[in-house]
Amino acid sequence: MEAQNLKFLVVDDFATMRRIVRNLLKESGYVNVEEAEDGVAALGLLKMTKFDFVISDINMPNMNGFELLRQIRAEPALKTIPVLMVTAEAKKEDIVNAAQCGASGYIVKPFTKATLEEKLVKIISKLQLQ
Amino acid sequence: MAAQPQAISPEEDLEALFDSIAEQRSEEIRRVAEPDRISGNDALGAEPAAAGAKEGVHQRLGHLTRLLHDTLGELGYDKTMTSLAQGLPDACDRLNYIARLTGEAAEKALNGVDRGQTLQAGIGADATALAGEWERVYAKQVSVEDFRSIAQRTREFFQTVPQRTGELGVVLTDIMMAQDFHDLTGQVIKKIVDLTKHTEKQLLDLLVETTPQALRAEMEHHLAGPVVNAEGRPDVVTSQQQVDDLLEKLGF
Repeated sequence: MEAQNLKFLVVDDFATMRRIVRNLLKESGYVNVEEAEDGVAALGLLKMTKFDFVISDINMPNMNGFELLRQIRAEPALKTIPVLMVTAEAKKEDIVNAAQCGASGYIVKPFTKATLEEKLVKIISKLQLQ
Repeated sequence: MAAQPQAISPEEDLEALFDSIAEQRSEEIRRVAEPDRISGNDALGAEPAAAGAKEGVHQRLGHLTRLLHDTLGELGYDKTMTSLAQGLPDACDRLNYIARLTGEAAEKALNGVDRGQTLQAGIGADATALAGEWERVYAKQVSVEDFRSIAQRTREFFQTVPQRTGELGVVLTDIMMAQDFHDLTGQVIKKIVDLTKHTEKQLLDLLVETTPQALRAEMEHHLAGPVVNAEGRPDVVTSQQQVDDLLEKLGF
C-alpha cells in the first residue's frame, strides 16, 4: 500500500484544529484528507467511503472520541482501521481509556509535525506487519 | 552499555502504559475469538453500574436544586440569586467573545500560512528549475539561442523575487498582527475569573447565612471566612429544617 495515498479522516469539533492537522498531514506528504466535526458525522463518512486512517479528538459534542472509537471497533467493516486519538493533556485515565477502547495510538496536543509523523509511522508499520 | 538505568520520562511512562494495555486488549480479543470463551470483559460489567450511579446522582442533584431554589425564595434571597443568574449570561457572552476572537485569529494566521507557503514554494520551484538549466549551460549542452532564453528567464526571475519576498514579508506581519487576540482575550478572561470568584463567595455567604446554629461550627470548619449571624425568624425554622436536610445530604 502506497503510504502517501492513504485516505485520512480528521475528526475534531474545532475547525482550526482540523485545518492544522490537515496542513501537518500535507507537509508530511499525505494529501488525501477529509474532515468531520464529531463522532456522528465521522461514522457517517466511514460507512460511506473507505478510509485508511482516523485521527480523532476526544472532547466533541454529539459523540465523543471514545464512543466513536468503540463504535468503529464494534463495526465489522471498520474494526481494523487504525485510530489515533488526540488528547489535550497527557492524563493517565484518558490514555488508559483510549488503549482499552482499542486506539492504535495517542498524541498529546499541541503536537509538532515531527511527533505526528513519528506516531503515524509507528502505527502504519505495525499495520504492515499484520 | 550504561551501568545505571536511565530515568524514564513521564511521557515514556505513559507511552509504555498505553502499549501494554493495547497489547493486553489484543490478547483478550484473540482469546475471545477462540472456541473456549473466557468470561466477559470486566469493563463491560462496570458500565451499567456506572450508568446507574450517574442516574442516582442526577436525581439527587435535581432534588437539591429544587430544594435550594425553594428555600432561597422563602428566605427572600431571590434577589441575590437574580444577580448571580445575571452574572452567568454575562460570563457566557464573554466566553463566546473569546471563542470568536481566537477563532478569527487562528483563521487569519492559517490563511497567512497558506499564502506564505504558496509564495515560498513558488520561489523554490522556479529557482530549482533555472538551476537545472544553468547546469546544462555549464555542461555545454545548450545552443546560443537556448542560452539567450535561459539568461532572459533568469533575469525575469530575479525581477520577480523582490516582489514575492515583499509579499512574504507582508504575510508574516499579518500573522504577527493576528496574535493581538491574546491581549484582548486575556483581559476578558481576567474579568470572568473575577466574576467566578465573586459568584463563589456569594454562594458561600448564602450557605453560611442559612446554616442553623447547630451545624454552624461544622460549617466553619469547612469554610474559610467570617461567619454571618442570621437573625432568628419564626418562619425560618421550617426552612431551616429543609436546609438541615440539604446540608445532611451534602454531608455537612
